[in-house]
Amino acid sequence: MKARRRVVTASGTPAKRRPTVRRIKPAIAPIVRDGVAATVRRPAVPSTVTPTPAPPATPVDLAVDLGRGLVLRNPVLVASGTFGYGIEYGDVVDVQRLGAICCKGTTLRPRIGNPTPRVTETPGGMLNSIGLQNPGVDAVVEKYASTWAGWQVPVIVNVAGESIGDYVEVARRLEGVPGVAGIELNISCPNVGAGGIQFAIDASAAGAVTAAVRRATDLPLLVKLSPNVADVRPIARAIADAGADALTAVNTLSGIAVAASRERPLLGNVYGGLSGPAIKPVALRIVYEVSQVVDIPVVAIGGIAELGDVLDYLAVGAVAAQVGTAIFADPGLPVRLVGELADECRRRGLDSYRPLIGSALPKRAAPPSARGVEYRP
Amino acid sequence: MRIAGAQLLDSREILPGQWLQAYHAPDLVAGARAGQFVHVRTGDYSGLVLRRPFSYNTIDPLAGTLTIHFRTVGRGTAWFTHLRPGDRIDMLGPLGRPFEVDPRNRHLLLIAGGLGIAGVRALADEAIRDGRQVTLLFGAATARDVYPSSLLPDEVEYVVATDDGSLGHHGFVTELVPGYEAWADQAFACGPAPMLRSLANLAASRRQRLGVATLGRKRGAGKTVPAGSPQARRKAFLQVSMEQNMGCAVGACLGCVVMTTAGTPQRVCREGPVFAAEEIAWEGGW
Repeated sequence: MKARRRVVTASGTPAKRRPTVRRIKPAIAPIVRDGVAATVRRPAVPSTVTPTPAPPATPVDLAVDLGRGLVLRNPVLVASGTFGYGIEYGDVVDVQRLGAICCKGTTLRPRIGNPTPRVTETPGGMLNSIGLQNPGVDAVVEKYASTWAGWQVPVIVNVAGESIGDYVEVARRLEGVPGVAGIELNISCPNVGAGGIQFAIDASAAGAVTAAVRRATDLPLLVKLSPNVADVRPIARAIADAGADALTAVNTLSGIAVAASRERPLLGNVYGGLSGPAIKPVALRIVYEVSQVVDIPVVAIGGIAELGDVLDYLAVGAVAAQVGTAIFADPGLPVRLVGELADECRRRGLDSYRPLIGSALPKRAAPPSARGVEYRP
Repeated sequence: MRIAGAQLLDSREILPGQWLQAYHAPDLVAGARAGQFVHVRTGDYSGLVLRRPFSYNTIDPLAGTLTIHFRTVGRGTAWFTHLRPGDRIDMLGPLGRPFEVDPRNRHLLLIAGGLGIAGVRALADEAIRDGRQVTLLFGAATARDVYPSSLLPDEVEYVVATDDGSLGHHGFVTELVPGYEAWADQAFACGPAPMLRSLANLAASRRQRLGVATLGRKRGAGKTVPAGSPQARRKAFLQVSMEQNMGCAVGACLGCVVMTTAGTPQRVCREGPVFAAEEIAWEGGW
């Protein structure tokens, strides 16, 4: 590689090099990130001669490290429950181009789920109460893990349970399974062992289940926060302190709908979870709050339907984003967002999307180490 | 399964609040069969976040056109009525599993309740094309909701029942079925859940009432085929097209399940929407 760089003007003719231009090192340098080597192009040479517009094919570094070796090639994930086990959309979606797939919620034993109707549209969103229908962790591993193992895209298994023991056992059975890249804990389930209170609404219960799973597995561990709480910050801190590698914010908002006859609630299970654009402001607020009180990465989810939504979540501190409900209307959206995010970086002259993260957070004088520090509003 | 553009050719309100729309969509017509459906995106994601499922009402592979038939029940269906010829929309399809006609059967009984006609309409075309005889029993609330016979193939025998007796048989369409049971080799139904349930009961008791084990000869006697397989459905006397609120329509979200007699919920969008009547747990089961 020649150290000398040819500076080309917009008209395509080589620009005159002035002697003041500093000679620079090779523009390509290997970067090793958690054992995964990635070749990343350094920023374009800041030329004092002519501003060189970045050519359209400049690679942009979209890789994101969610901790414990879980490095995604890009920060666009598909959300649990909206993408099945990654195979349902067939060739309508090129799954290999996704950042990661969060599979359908998986429990220790098979579950038949809730009575129907299970879904209904609401203004700007939808309610669902699937009730964690799934064939159980063993069947999921047997049926899908070998397919996942052949994929480049990491598959994060979403895990749900009714007791800490359930979560721990599912995590143990996923440990070491080829094709399972990580675990996302859905803690918005009633804790049957402790009187039916959801793990997600109590900081100590959320911390306890996270710590127990942490002890049981070395898999990268994400924990999905519930928005149905007065203040999510102590819960997020408890989960981070218990050893989670990343947080997902947020799960669905609890809601109901009424049947057209007005004689009963519409959903078979009465209660459902609201998702879609309707919840974006709430999710945005929670990402904004959580990313300021934890040091671990925050993966945002809630109503993402276009690039602007992803940029909003990055601005309030998320490092990655999950697309959920919008997939139903537009299955190609997540893959398209990856390209659009790279284009947006190029447009801004960035070679990485990282400068977009946290741009809307309050500026802090001290380095952002809030672990163990009491939150002060 | 493909996502493809569809161009509106014609849009008509054929009955009060019921619309028939023809689309040019060669990619979605190729390989599509009666009983399958398309999942159609509305142009208003800000408010309407889900696609809308519509049965293939008719399929014309030569012209590359399909029609859908729907009732305006909410903002989504109302949005479709505002489309003008030439407008393009986005459809996902063909989805679901089709009706399975046993190749040996000559006499097909189609039973439709109200808008359920949209679920079995394409089967009438398919069956006539294959040289079968088709009788369509149609039930509606009143005469003004009765599907126009001009929209059916001439070869179909069309029998109507209305709840108020304003046209045809006075009563439910299910009351007409016993008169055709001996004639019919196979029956296909789409309509409200109570109608399908009562048809399923009729089908289940048919064997005793007619005093025959099965119709036809050498019908794979003694062989077992896995429940829910196309072979099992082909052997079923009554096939029903089920309806359920739907999310993704590809089997990912598990929103649209029906409970089966095996105790396992099955996805209407993937294992259905056509099921053998005996597969369905009509009394719930959760």
